Amino acid sequence: MSAASVRAEAKRLLALSLEGGVVSADLVGAVLAELTKSRPAHQLRPLLRAYLANIRRELARGEARIEHAGPLASTEADAIAAHFSRLLGRTVRPVARRNDALLAGFRVRVGDDVTDLTASLRLANLAKSLS
Amino acid sequence: MTFLSALLAAEPAHEAVKAAAHAAPAAAKSTGPLGDIMETFSRFGVDKPHLIVQLINFTILAFVLYRFAIKPALGQLEERIRQAEQLQVDRASAEAQLAAAQKNAEAKLVAASDEAAKILAEARNSAKQAVEAAKSEAQAAQIDVIAKATAAIEADRVKMMNEVRGEISRLVVDTAAKVLEQNLDDSQRGRLNEAAVKQLAR
Repeated sequence: MSAASVRAEAKRLLALSLEGGVVSADLVGAVLAELTKSRPAHQLRPLLRAYLANIRRELARGEARIEHAGPLASTEADAIAAHFSRLLGRTVRPVARRNDALLAGFRVRVGDDVTDLTASLRLANLAKSLS
Repeated sequence: MTFLSALLAAEPAHEAVKAAAHAAPAAAKSTGPLGDIMETFSRFGVDKPHLIVQLINFTILAFVLYRFAIKPALGQLEERIRQAEQLQVDRASAEAQLAAAQKNAEAKLVAASDEAAKILAEARNSAKQAVEAAKSEAQAAQIDVIAKATAAIEADRVKMMNEVRGEISRLVVDTAAKVLEQNLDDSQRGRLNEAAVKQLAR
């Protein structure tokens, strides 16, 4: 299989794995089971790799990965996720992780979009403008 | 004395007799001025044959002298005169040639002097122009070097200022970050996160 056909097949498998626009674990399991039965091993590896990348990307599109310094209340995380759900027009769930190197504030990544409201970024911008 | 005169001198008496014999009848016969002249010559011892012989003798002598002495002498004299004249002509020609040569040499000297003066002036002008060109080139090079040095110094200064500014900024930011990291507690960070959430909602 060519790379283009692998990408197209992986995209089709991703579409089969969505339920209501959200990745479903059951559907993913069914797709994997069918694949292992129907495809030879030499075709399976690149296809599974492309499928995994698509699943990860789709999961990332549905997550608001929040890096924060100091404590962040769950209500605040939900408020952040709600903000991006409204902004993107799809449901986004918060995934928070503490990182005190950011000094203060938080950084949110949804898919390929990054929103940074941290003190470390402000200081970095200040250093850049001064130099 | 010629041969005829010697012969006449050897027989004077006989001739005198004959002259007397002829003179008498001649005197008797002579009439008019010619006869008087002849009689006068006879009285001085000049008789006609003798006179004729003397005339012939003189003529021969004159011819011989003219032919063998005077004419060659005159020829030589004329040749000398002609040579002298030719020498004079040659001398005049030589003097004219000398004068012309001197004039030509003077003209050539004057021309050479003018040409030398002209070449000298051109050489001076060329040297002056070369010096001026070298001076201008040196001044241009000097200005260029000064401009490059000034630009390099300015670039170094700006670079150094930027480096110093960057270093100071980095130190300030690092210090601020450390201060914030050490002094911010969780409550302050929580308030800052809450403010950030409110900022995001706006």
